[in-house]
Amino acid sequence: MDNCTYEKLDISGLDAWFGDKQALKGVSLRIKPKTVTAVIGPSGCGKSTFIRCINRMHELTPGNRVSGVVLLDGVDIYKSVDSMDVRRKVGMVFQKPNPFPNMSVSDNVVAGLKLIGAASKKELEAVAEENLKAVGLWKEVENDLKKSGASLSGGQQQRLCIARALAMRPEIILMDEPTSALDPASTAKIEDLVKTLKAETTVIIITHNVQQAARISDMTAFFYLGELIEYGETRTIFESPKSPLTERYITGRFG
Amino acid sequence: MRMVSRKNKDRVARWLSLAITVLAIIPLLWIICSVVVNGISAINLEFITGVPAPYGESGGGIANAIFGTLIINAMASIFGIPVGILTGMYLSEYATKGKFSSAIRTSVESFSGVPSIIFGIFAFTIIVTNVRHYTALAAAFALGIMMIPIVAKATEESMRVVSDDMREAAIALGVPKWVRTVKIVLGVARGGVITGSLLAFARISGETAPLLFTALFSFYWPTGIDQPMATLQVLIYNFALSGYQERVLQAWGASLLLVMLVVAINIVVKIVTRQKYKEGI
Repeated sequence: MDNCTYEKLDISGLDAWFGDKQALKGVSLRIKPKTVTAVIGPSGCGKSTFIRCINRMHELTPGNRVSGVVLLDGVDIYKSVDSMDVRRKVGMVFQKPNPFPNMSVSDNVVAGLKLIGAASKKELEAVAEENLKAVGLWKEVENDLKKSGASLSGGQQQRLCIARALAMRPEIILMDEPTSALDPASTAKIEDLVKTLKAETTVIIITHNVQQAARISDMTAFFYLGELIEYGETRTIFESPKSPLTERYITGRFG
Repeated sequence: MRMVSRKNKDRVARWLSLAITVLAIIPLLWIICSVVVNGISAINLEFITGVPAPYGESGGGIANAIFGTLIINAMASIFGIPVGILTGMYLSEYATKGKFSSAIRTSVESFSGVPSIIFGIFAFTIIVTNVRHYTALAAAFALGIMMIPIVAKATEESMRVVSDDMREAAIALGVPKWVRTVKIVLGVARGGVITGSLLAFARISGETAPLLFTALFSFYWPTGIDQPMATLQVLIYNFALSGYQERVLQAWGASLLLVMLVVAINIVVKIVTRQKYKEGI
């Protein structure tokens, strides 16, 4: 990993505003492919804004602005790519599981492909099965594929949402506190899943739980008041943080 | 002491509200009972399969009016429901805070309060006076317009309560806005849209005034949608005032069928609504 020179994501001088309020200040970092990066920091530090700049969702609210350069595989996603195409390459999983209640379990998995009309029915069935297996949900829902996506338990719904993101074969998956609404057993399943996901894709995960960051991530980025305070290998960040702020945060003295 | 008086007040409030509720329901039950009692004896096979007998002859049925009501309602729905859904969709997903949007919203809201006779005169003026004869199409047009605000309001409200989580989930998948709006937001809201459409259908099933200006009446089977057409509503109006005892009885029978249609629609609405809540939206 260390000797990989290729960057999946290369962000430099990223600023973001909500109207007049600046939420991100000059964030620069590089993320290597097939890694898990944890984004930590106290509430309101810009974590969510940061990841929403990577799939161009921040700009959706009128008045919001973004400036800086975000290169995905060397291509500027704000200049050379349509926002819809960016979102097909950069998947997202939200804090609250949000399967589509008007679709069956299997249709939820392939919702993205189906809604843009990208595959035949036979292909969709195969994609649904493959991705339900990838998130470890296949055995649990094999006989309920036609039931509403909303009929599953919270933890199952969240894995369904991960399968839905995976089905687009994204270059990057963004996760915004995906386990904060789940019970410990479901959380453990998602954590294990995140670790396996990096075989296929690159994961950037926001978490409020620093132990979770330590358990599942290769790299950790600590944000505070819209600035990237420290970024490096998770072990280094946790064992010998450079910034006293980082140390105070990860030892639970504020946040 | 105080406790006893509080309990007494409670008791009085409870019995008073119950008594007034019963009082309010009495006229309603009275209407339904008299429709059932008077109407049931009119209903037989000839009544629901035949056309009205010529004046002076006994027997005959109202099948042409049943058929006419269903045809006109169906034509009104084909026009009114899609327009209503698109209007509601616009108001929920695309409307801004600008003047244009608020003008549309205000007109949709005030439209639902306009007396139905106005829609009848409107259709009469722009269609009937131009083609120079009464036509079922004009009736469908008048009733279709009446459906628009009901369907639009129901669509707007049920699309608005769809959580933004659903919209964000679709955005994050790179789904274009119109697909999101139709397949996700409208899809999740469909229970409310179906309910609103059924209620609009029930509402126009009882309208008579617009029909008097447009479809008028016919004693025969419909010959075309551009011709005058019998409906249950106008048949009730004509027969009840005809002075012939048998026709008056048939008007009661037609009233019973109309009430049954509306009640049936409301039962379907109840079932649809229950399903909507089961899905946990």
